[in-house]
Order: sequence, then C-alpha cells, then structure tokens
Amino acid sequence: MSKDDHETDERMNSGLGLAERELLQRLLHGLPDSPPPRAVWERISTQAEAEGLWLRRGAAARRWPLAAAGLAAAVLLAVIWLPSQLPQGPAAGGGPFPTEPAWTAAGNGTGVGALRVRSAMLERDLRALPAAPRVMRAGTAATIGELEDRIAAIDHALSVPEGSLTESEIESYWRERVRLMDSLVQLRYAQARRNSL
Amino acid sequence: MSRFADIDIDPAIIGRAARGDARAHEIIYRAFAAPVYSVCLRFTRVPAHAEDLTQDTFMEVMRSIGSFRGDAPLGSWVRRIAVTKALMFLRSAWQRRGQSLDDDWEDLTPGDVSNHGVSAAPEHALDLDAALASLPDVSRAVVWLHDVEGFTHREIAGLMGRTESFSKSQLSRAYRRLRPMLERGVREAAADDAMTRSLPDPC
Repeated sequence: MSKDDHETDERMNSGLGLAERELLQRLLHGLPDSPPPRAVWERISTQAEAEGLWLRRGAAARRWPLAAAGLAAAVLLAVIWLPSQLPQGPAAGGGPFPTEPAWTAAGNGTGVGALRVRSAMLERDLRALPAAPRVMRAGTAATIGELEDRIAAIDHALSVPEGSLTESEIESYWRERVRLMDSLVQLRYAQARRNSL
Repeated sequence: MSRFADIDIDPAIIGRAARGDARAHEIIYRAFAAPVYSVCLRFTRVPAHAEDLTQDTFMEVMRSIGSFRGDAPLGSWVRRIAVTKALMFLRSAWQRRGQSLDDDWEDLTPGDVSNHGVSAAPEHALDLDAALASLPDVSRAVVWLHDVEGFTHREIAGLMGRTESFSKSQLSRAYRRLRPMLERGVREAAADDAMTRSLPDPC
C-alpha cells in the first residue's frame, strides 16, 4: 500500500473529511506550550544534588587547578605591576551596574602586557555586574556557558610551566582571551540592562 | 511538526551535561521545559501531575544523558522520555482503578468529569482544549502522539504496550467525537470566506 493510499484509508476510517483533518491539524499545532512553574526547576536541582548527579563546585575546581592558578597569577600581575597603566573606566557605583561597560574606554594596545591589562579590566567589569539571573533565555545561557568554557580552556593552556609556550603562542592566547572576555562582558552587560528595565 | 524538533542544542552543551555540568543541565531544562510540561499536561490535564512528570522526565534525562549517542536530535530523545513517563502514569492510574484501557470509552458518561477525566462535549465551536478534554485520557494521548508528535500507530502501540488496532481504534473514536466541532469550524470558515468575497473591494 502506498503512502497516499494509506493516508486515504486512514482518513476514511477516521470519518473526517479532508477539510476537518486540516482544521484539526491546524488547531492542534496552534495550541500554545505552557512553561512549568519555577518551583519545578528548584525541585529538580535539589534532587539532582541529593543524588550526586552534578559535579560539585569543589570537584569542578579540582579539575582546573592549573587554570585557576594561571588566572590568579595573571590578575595578580596586572594588579601589582600595572595599576598606573589602567585607564579610568566609568564609575561602577552609580547604579545597580555600570551605565556603560568599561571596555569601551579601554585602549587597543597590543603586546602581552597590554592584553593582560585589558583582560584584568574586563574581569573587573564582569565582577561589577549583578549576578546572573536565575532564569535566562536558553540561547543566552548556552552562549555564556560556551564563552566561559573557552576562557577556562585558554587559562588552562596558559598555565603550563614557563618555557612550554613561545612568546607568539602566549600572545595569541591572551588576545583570544581578551576577545572572549569582551564578548562575555558585553553579553552579561546586555543581560543586566534587560533585567533592570 | 512537534515543537521538540524545533529546539537545537549545541553538542558541546550535551557533552558538558553528560559530564555532570549543572549549568548545561539547566540550559537543556530551559530549552525543553515548556514542551515537556505541555505534553504532560495534555495527557494528564492535572497541573500537579504534569509538574511531577516534568520533574521525573528531567531527572531521567540527567541520569541517562551519558548514554545519548546523538544519532537522533536531543529533542526526540527527551520527547520519548516525557511521553513514556506520561503514558506510564496513565497506565498506573488505570491499574489503580482496576480497569483496563479498553474500558475507557464504555464507561464514558457525558458530563462526568470525575470519571476518567472525561467532560461533556464542548459547546463552543473550535474550542479545541475543551474538545480534547472531552476525550478519555488515552484517546487524547493517541490523538496528540499521532497528529502532533508524528508517531505511527505501530510506535504508539509499542509505547502503550497495545496493538496497532487499539491505537487506530482510539484515534478513530476520538475523531468521531471531535467531528461535530470540526464540521462547525469548517462551515464557519466557509461562511466567513464567502462573506469576505461578497464584500465590495475598498479600492
């Protein structure tokens, strides 16, 4: 039996004409989806933690000890050695979050030192933003998660013992880190603005 | 086309979820929560049951995502878990009442909301929600699986542990019950169309 024959047979058996079948299909597909109450996710996350289905933050941190050390070293370097080089960004204390992200005021200097400064500034901007909302769009959450993963991967790569990377490789990593941090800050900034409205 | 099929999740997110990343699981939940809850609500019609089934579905997703091989879209996989959970619930509800699924239509009493979740036939044309609510739970599930999610009768039979004939019979009876509403809808649409055509052209 061909597909058409099968459909005709099914239509006759159903007792619905073509117009009725089409109307039913249109109405069914037009029914809206309903989101579950927020409490459902809270119940799920509580159960998942109780069952040990998620990595604990401590465990996650142990997976990236070198990354954390590398990041800390980079930030420390920027804070101790280069404070005078930091241009003044917009004040962060004027509202719930900066009225304009500081990266817009940052210079476009090149070289590892300048890239580290920019990276430290972006880290500071990120910390100045309000905490991420509990509920966010799936696309935004996915993008933020992806950016954070890639930044963590770069930090891991930069945390190898001294001499393992060439100067060129180090600069490439830092340039990519600044680019990713820039995207992350812009995304979180837009998210914060949206939530404040 | 089912709404599940429209949702695309980055394989990197799925990989992170398989490693137990809570944020990745939350992304998956945010993406699929509404279609999962909606399917569960369509099947059970009781929000509290739908919430429990949504929770069960995502717990199963978390426990099993490591075995997801990516041969099919993640949405199809999540949908099958949700549908299976909802059908299991319906079957257990029937079993608790000591009845078989076949009793469903025989016990149908118009207006009896408490009996198998069946209510009176809808009074208003094109009120599909009311029309669906007038069907026995299993028939409503068959309509949804067949006409919205695109399952075949063979697949529905497999999910329900029944025969293809059972699935076809449930669908046919559901259509017969929906037919008056649909015929009214078609007639009204035709009348509207005729009226629109008879109006003078404003230009």
